[in-house]
Amino acid sequence: MAEENTNSSTDENSKLIGLVAQFDDPDSLVQACDQARQAGYTKTDAFSPFPVHGIDPALGIKRTILPFIVLGIAVGAVFIGLGMQWYTNGGSLGEFSTDESPVFPGYRFKISGKPYFSLPANIPVTFEVIVLSSAFATFFGMWFLNKLPMLSNPLHRISRFKRATNDKFFLMIEQADEQFDRGSTEAQLNQWGAVSIDECRRDLTDNNLPSWLRLFALMGAILLLLPPVAIFRAMGMTSRAPRLHVVPDMDWQDKSKTQTLSPIMMNDRYLFADERVMRAPVDGSVARGQLDADTELYEGIKSDYVPTVSMTTPQGSVRTGLGTQDEAEAAPPVEDVSMYVTEFPKEITVDEALVQRGQIRFNIYCAACHGYAANGDGLVNQRAIALAGIGKAQWTSAKSLHDATVSNAEKNPLGRIFETISKGRGTMGPYGAQIPTADRWAIVAYVKALQETGIKPVLAVSEEDKSGESEASDANATATTPEDKTRPTP
Amino acid sequence: MHETRPAKITSPITTLNGGHLRTAPVALIVGAIGIGVAIMLSLGSEEGLKRFMFTYLTSFCFVLSISVGCLFFVTIMHLTRAGWSVTVRRVAELYAMCALGLGILFIPILATVISGSDMIYSWNQGGWTMHDLTTAEKAEFVNVANRPPLEQMKYQFLNQNFFTIRVIAYFLAWGGMAWFFLSNSLKQDKSGDKNLTSRMQAFSAPLMILFAVTVVFSSFDMEMSLSALWFSTMFPVYFFAGAFLSALCTILLTGLWLQKTGRVTDEITIDHYHDLGKLMQGFVIFWGYIAFSQFLLIWYANIPEETFWYNLRINQPGWMTLSILLLVGHLFIPFFLLMGRGLRRNRKMLAFSAIFILAMHWVDHYWLIMPQMNPEANLYTLTGMGIVIDLACMVGVIAVYIAMFCMIAGNRSLVPLKDPRLGEALNHEVH
Repeated sequence: MAEENTNSSTDENSKLIGLVAQFDDPDSLVQACDQARQAGYTKTDAFSPFPVHGIDPALGIKRTILPFIVLGIAVGAVFIGLGMQWYTNGGSLGEFSTDESPVFPGYRFKISGKPYFSLPANIPVTFEVIVLSSAFATFFGMWFLNKLPMLSNPLHRISRFKRATNDKFFLMIEQADEQFDRGSTEAQLNQWGAVSIDECRRDLTDNNLPSWLRLFALMGAILLLLPPVAIFRAMGMTSRAPRLHVVPDMDWQDKSKTQTLSPIMMNDRYLFADERVMRAPVDGSVARGQLDADTELYEGIKSDYVPTVSMTTPQGSVRTGLGTQDEAEAAPPVEDVSMYVTEFPKEITVDEALVQRGQIRFNIYCAACHGYAANGDGLVNQRAIALAGIGKAQWTSAKSLHDATVSNAEKNPLGRIFETISKGRGTMGPYGAQIPTADRWAIVAYVKALQETGIKPVLAVSEEDKSGESEASDANATATTPEDKTRPTP
Repeated sequence: MHETRPAKITSPITTLNGGHLRTAPVALIVGAIGIGVAIMLSLGSEEGLKRFMFTYLTSFCFVLSISVGCLFFVTIMHLTRAGWSVTVRRVAELYAMCALGLGILFIPILATVISGSDMIYSWNQGGWTMHDLTTAEKAEFVNVANRPPLEQMKYQFLNQNFFTIRVIAYFLAWGGMAWFFLSNSLKQDKSGDKNLTSRMQAFSAPLMILFAVTVVFSSFDMEMSLSALWFSTMFPVYFFAGAFLSALCTILLTGLWLQKTGRVTDEITIDHYHDLGKLMQGFVIFWGYIAFSQFLLIWYANIPEETFWYNLRINQPGWMTLSILLLVGHLFIPFFLLMGRGLRRNRKMLAFSAIFILAMHWVDHYWLIMPQMNPEANLYTLTGMGIVIDLACMVGVIAVYIAMFCMIAGNRSLVPLKDPRLGEALNHEVH
């Protein structure tokens, strides 16, 4: 192939692009490049398997402007990154302006209490945008400056040239160069030590697609537009047609979903008499670690207590933890408080550690409504009462645990407090699922301790008492004042 | 056209050539005068000797960070088997060796600790004054339940004896490392033994770990513990970023100065300066990245145990000015000063950038240390005569440092003479 090319200088089907000289080592390539530059050639290019030091000045190649393109894009990215964040979340100039953007007010996500547009929080994102844009600018800028992608290059028609990626070095002088002359250039290249010289020719034979193929391609392209058009049309339209099921056996699977009727029919009857999918556990079966047979420990009810009323009475429904709001509104049922334990179960050791544990748990779970001092002045309670006051909420006030009805050990024995925490009472929700049993007893101990120490509402505390109190209870006491006014009389 | 240079030293003068005999005494005298003036002036100031000790610590940490950075330069070059840097490595080795001498300069500071004074480190003698906290912040510290007091916990680490042991260990470790590299390199100058290079490379990996540990804890001890109750695990990285940056600037400036005075004229080429410039720009960005990372995490979490340190530097008008100066002068200006091949191959521009960065690096340490002296005072109360104290002390400490360099360099060669990678370095070419 190569021989054929070099011998036929006047081919009808190809055009001479330039001469490609081969060199055997990088040094002679650099020397040849240098001489070509000195001879006045400007449209030259060198090819080597690896970067050769000094080839750029030898060829007279100017430094690339790529860094400046990247710098420009990076500076632009600063504005894009910051602007995007300002537009999406800020939507206004924050402190500088109170006007909201007329186009888009911004999502206005309040994150960690920071301003909508706060520079420190926005710098990491901006930095990432800069890095990404710079990387793209470098990569695609390099493509653009090298006129890539180039799908075919006439140089690849020279078989010798394939070794440019292996062990040979090439210098090309283009025909478009003003100095170029087929004969004298070849002589010069030989003089500069070229091992061999090839002509680089561009194939001029018709390389257009056949017209029928073009027609097919056009039709194909138009057909490809149809699905998006159909989808676009279907958007925003209603339809009575049933949904298409592309993969029916994924849409209808032979399986039973929880809490449904059984799909399995035998002889026109459901598989199970109760028609349900799910099976109740066998009577008397207990899940691992859930044997809560000790009613004193797990329910606060004396182990020798025998219910004297049926399970369907209001007392009974309290007993099973299904207490509802209706119940609170119903007439208070006569309660048999004798069923509750009055001592801590034997598994619970009552000591300082227990009370301290109870304090921590109380402050986490109970104080939100009942307040840290159990005065019934928790923040949730205050807020709900405030909302209820303007008709925006229904709320039954959380009780002060210092109320006589609550603190009275006769009416409210330990077991009953435990049951209240576990299963809720009135509108108070059950906490048995959130708080482990031992922690609930710890809370009971802490509640009793609070009641024993008898922290009074702040208005009843004298000045001397107040000065002796810690800062923490001071903070609570100030919160008590508004609540006292709104607390309903018992 | 492309001649490969033989691996041979061609400069007529490769040592200080007796220059140290002239420079060192002058520098020592300047140092004594500078430090003396600073002491005299600060004795007359409101804070007394404390004023001097803080500004002395500032300038000390500045020169220490240069030595530490140079030590890192030498270690990392051996670790990566770098060929290009051979001709500038000796300068770094000599500066790294100064770390041992700096141990002597640390004695006054150590003396305050040993004598039980809390003049510099408030944690000493159990004197955990939380004077840089506001009342509300103090309440936060006190009010955390179920925890022994923070002072008590930190005292396990920050106490007179342990601090003294650690500080001595740092200087011994740095001095030992520097001596290991310098002595082997000098031995090679005579013998040309290639095994010495492999030996230094083999040791550079474990020594790098030693370096990391010592730098982390020394920055905790010497600078961060000024605000003993503060938390920031980013601080050592911040210290290191500034240290390596200033080391690069110092190596570059020293190279330029040596060549200007007719020494090692052939060995350090523009390509070496170009590469140092590239590293400088990289570490300017790294410094900014780390400084911002430290700030961002604390700013975002907004925990009083951490924010008070920045609160002092941002909400006090004077320190705020300095913070902005650092942001602009330590990050933005050098970033553009070093951008572009033309600027990085221009000796004058490089020298200007290096001096500028070094000045900013001193301001950086000033910003780290001085606000802890008297948090009630802001920068404005430190200006006036205070500036004279700071500058006199800075000039004095730097002069002593230069004298130290001259004495260590002595008649030793300023480039490795028979390094196996010398040829690679001499033929180094940058695109």
